[in-house]
Amino acid sequence: MQNHEKEQDYISVQGLHKYFIQRDSEKLQILEDINFGVKKGEVICIVGSSGCGKSTLLRAICGLDTEHSGTVTIDGEEVTGPNRHRGMVFQEHRLFPWLTVAQNVGYVLQGLSKEEKREKVQKYIDLVGLHGFEKSYPRELSGGMAQRAGIARALVNKPSVLFLDEPFGALDAFTKISMQKELKRIQKKSDTTMLLVTHDIDEAVYLADRIIVMSERPGKIRRIVPVELTGHRDRNSYEFVAIRKIIYNEFFDESNGE
Amino acid sequence: MSKSAAKNVGYIAEYMVLVVTIIVVWIVMGSTGHLNPVIMPSPGKVGNTIVSLVASGELWENLAVSVLRVLQGYLLAAVLGIVLGILIGLSHHLDRLTALLIQLIKPIPPIAWIPLVILWFGIGESGKIFLIFLGGFFTILINVIDGIRQTDVKLIEVSKSMETPFLKHIFLMVIPSAAPNIFTGLRTGLSSCWMCVVAAELVSSTTGLGYLIMNARQFGKTDVVIVGMLTIGIIGKIMDSLLRLAEKRVIRWK
Ligand SMILES: Nc1ncnc2c1ncn2[C@@H]1O[C@H](COP(=O)(O)OP(=O)(O)OP(=O)(O)O)[C@@H](O)[C@H]1O
Ligand SMILES: [Mg+2]
Repeated sequence: MQNHEKEQDYISVQGLHKYFIQRDSEKLQILEDINFGVKKGEVICIVGSSGCGKSTLLRAICGLDTEHSGTVTIDGEEVTGPNRHRGMVFQEHRLFPWLTVAQNVGYVLQGLSKEEKREKVQKYIDLVGLHGFEKSYPRELSGGMAQRAGIARALVNKPSVLFLDEPFGALDAFTKISMQKELKRIQKKSDTTMLLVTHDIDEAVYLADRIIVMSERPGKIRRIVPVELTGHRDRNSYEFVAIRKIIYNEFFDESNGE
Repeated sequence: MSKSAAKNVGYIAEYMVLVVTIIVVWIVMGSTGHLNPVIMPSPGKVGNTIVSLVASGELWENLAVSVLRVLQGYLLAAVLGIVLGILIGLSHHLDRLTALLIQLIKPIPPIAWIPLVILWFGIGESGKIFLIFLGGFFTILINVIDGIRQTDVKLIEVSKSMETPFLKHIFLMVIPSAAPNIFTGLRTGLSSCWMCVVAAELVSSTTGLGYLIMNARQFGKTDVVIVGMLTIGIIGKIMDSLLRLAEKRVIRWK
């Protein structure tokens, strides 16, 4: 639509199609003609029902899966693989079981002195509220704690882009809200561009500048909803609820009642 | 505290049941004249032989020789098995190249190698060490390859997406992930090495536990044979326990 703005897009996804070859060697189309751009420092949330291809889309954009047609560019360069300056929080925590929390968080850091590394790691461990668990192994953590360690690991290298696949899925409502706040604070402070997949409409409205609503089978962009809320986002404010309703109605027809 | 101590005693008692039963049956059969002393000596006779072999130093000497041989061959097998296993496990190319060869050589029992080994190395130490090496090498190699293969692709993806330098990837990701399999290989490899040292010493040796056993057989000293066998069993078990201990220390995350 806005061709002059395309130039400014920090991340650009154009004509993305993705198939998986199934066991019976039949093609299953997962993503169909995905097009959108993300500006530097923007937060995009992707919502959609389970199995609609959100994780697949995120993997294609961050370069973990390059077997697709169409192009993805980040900062003007075509994405051909992952890069350690782009952070990734996976849907499963994916911590290395043989490393402690501190070692997991520090794994990505390179070329720092021991002391610098220790300080950085400690900072992000404290940030996600895992102080005191530095020497624990992942099996000794609860699901939510492991996920927070995974978030610390993605943040520690100060990525310019952060990809998060349902990062707060395993958290209780209270921890979730405080983690969302924390993530928002970090994002504001460092102007990180963020793509976040979620099931949680509230979370999307709270965090996003724009929300991409996906339809399923095949996954397509049904609608992109801008969240034009300035300043502090009060989850109970009229404007907040209004946007939540828009997203909600994309999934559940109002006339059905509840 | 006392509860767990009682539990431990219970475990140990349970553990010993079979061994004690066998010894009791053995004693009873010996004292009721059901054993032909030439074929199967009584436990008392075996006990006396242990004492005299220990006192004369004969047992220690032969034990030391065999242990040294095993350690040499085993170390060689472990180092080569682990290094080559990692390389083959990582490279599909190397794997294709070596798979058939490994599968062909692996089932050949080390004893079948003895004639060739004697021709190649003579009857000196190096031939025996080579046989012991052969015994442990393939077991270790195959376990290491398997371990590397089984690395969780999702975790490999994490390490790769962080553009981890090769050596760091190997030492902090690949090897720890394969560690349980590597230890399995090291432990089964060790017992294969013991089997080979005895085989080697049976054929061409004037020292070692295998020689002790073979020599005793020629003079009909079944008591010495049994003492030799027991010694191998016990030392094998001790070495295995040490490896288990090392495994527990290394794999702390499980
Ligand atoms: N490696 C694969 N091979 C074949 N099919 C796959 C593969 N990965 C995903 N799929 C299929 O692609 C579809 C989308 O999967 P994806 O993981 O992207 O869903 P999702 O939107 O992230 O779902 P959820 O919210 O449950 O995580 C699913 O139908 C799944 O069966
Ligand atoms: Mg998913």
